[in-house]
Amino acid sequence: MTRHFAVSAVGGDRPGIVSGVTAALAEIGCNLEDTSMTVLRGRFAMVLLVAGPDALESDQLAAALQAPAAGLGLAVWVHDVDESVPDRLVGESWTVSIHGADRPGIVSHISAALAGAGVNIVDLSTRLVGGDRPLYAMLLEVVVPEDLSGPALTERLEAAAAEVGVTLSAHPSGADIL
Amino acid sequence: MPVRPVIRLPEEVLTRPARPCGPVDEQLAALGEDLIDTMRVSPGCVGLAAPQLGVGLRAFVVDVTGHRKARSCHGTVVMFDPVLISYSGAELAREGCMSVPDLTGDVPRPTSVVVRGAGLDGTMIEIEADAFEARAFLHELDHLDGKLFLDRVPGPSAVFQRRVYR
Repeated sequence: MTRHFAVSAVGGDRPGIVSGVTAALAEIGCNLEDTSMTVLRGRFAMVLLVAGPDALESDQLAAALQAPAAGLGLAVWVHDVDESVPDRLVGESWTVSIHGADRPGIVSHISAALAGAGVNIVDLSTRLVGGDRPLYAMLLEVVVPEDLSGPALTERLEAAAAEVGVTLSAHPSGADIL
Repeated sequence: MPVRPVIRLPEEVLTRPARPCGPVDEQLAALGEDLIDTMRVSPGCVGLAAPQLGVGLRAFVVDVTGHRKARSCHGTVVMFDPVLISYSGAELAREGCMSVPDLTGDVPRPTSVVVRGAGLDGTMIEIEADAFEARAFLHELDHLDGKLFLDRVPGPSAVFQRRVYR
């Protein structure tokens, strides 16, 4: 039997973070499952879904990560996660790309439009770049419910984008099986 | 001719270069028929390589008939010991693979190719393909070298979980 934990860590980027954290996890018998790790404005951020031995408690896991966290200057969080896996989403996968002048509220406005249409965000990353006139870029992978047509989705999203002054494009991201 | 199960990663036959077929005999022709039959019963499948059936030989089938992205279309093409003669152009598109059913990836590939190999009856054929048919040939050629689309993606953000079906 195994149980699952969510481990997240953030700290100034440098070589050795992944190695330090994952060595400590391997040491206590944890197996990395799905993970996402990237540099966000110079900070290395990791979110790990980890399977551990049944007897392992989250505070023991946190204790095992204390030494590498201190050595690498990381803030670390450990949480138990619910063992039940949510139902697989049914719908069409779309890629949505948004860019425009930066201002507060772009993500909240666009995501509210998506949530209102029953669209589920399954991947999202944003980047703020540039100096005098910062550019905000946002890329999403979403699952569109079967009862929402492509044109209806595009229309709703374009309206939301116009309200916060950004440009939006959306297209189905279905892959061809070769 | 039997439909065979499609082998999935991490089976090693998928990551090893396949062996040359040599002259087309009855056995190879039967393998070609199995490739066709297995492709035909697999929804949306436009090509299949012998390693995907667990056979480490340089053989594949491609058929993009009726696909919305196809421009050139040569129908059902079985090839033994195929060779990529020339290629040009470049395009990024998302593709998946029956041997990696839970992931998809954006893969850059040439947009037109010339491929030569022995057909089902052993005679040499040369095919000039473009657009989606070219991509299908290149994907299957990769299988014969033990390469999957995962080996071709330009970066970690180009791989996606295929969690959605319609």
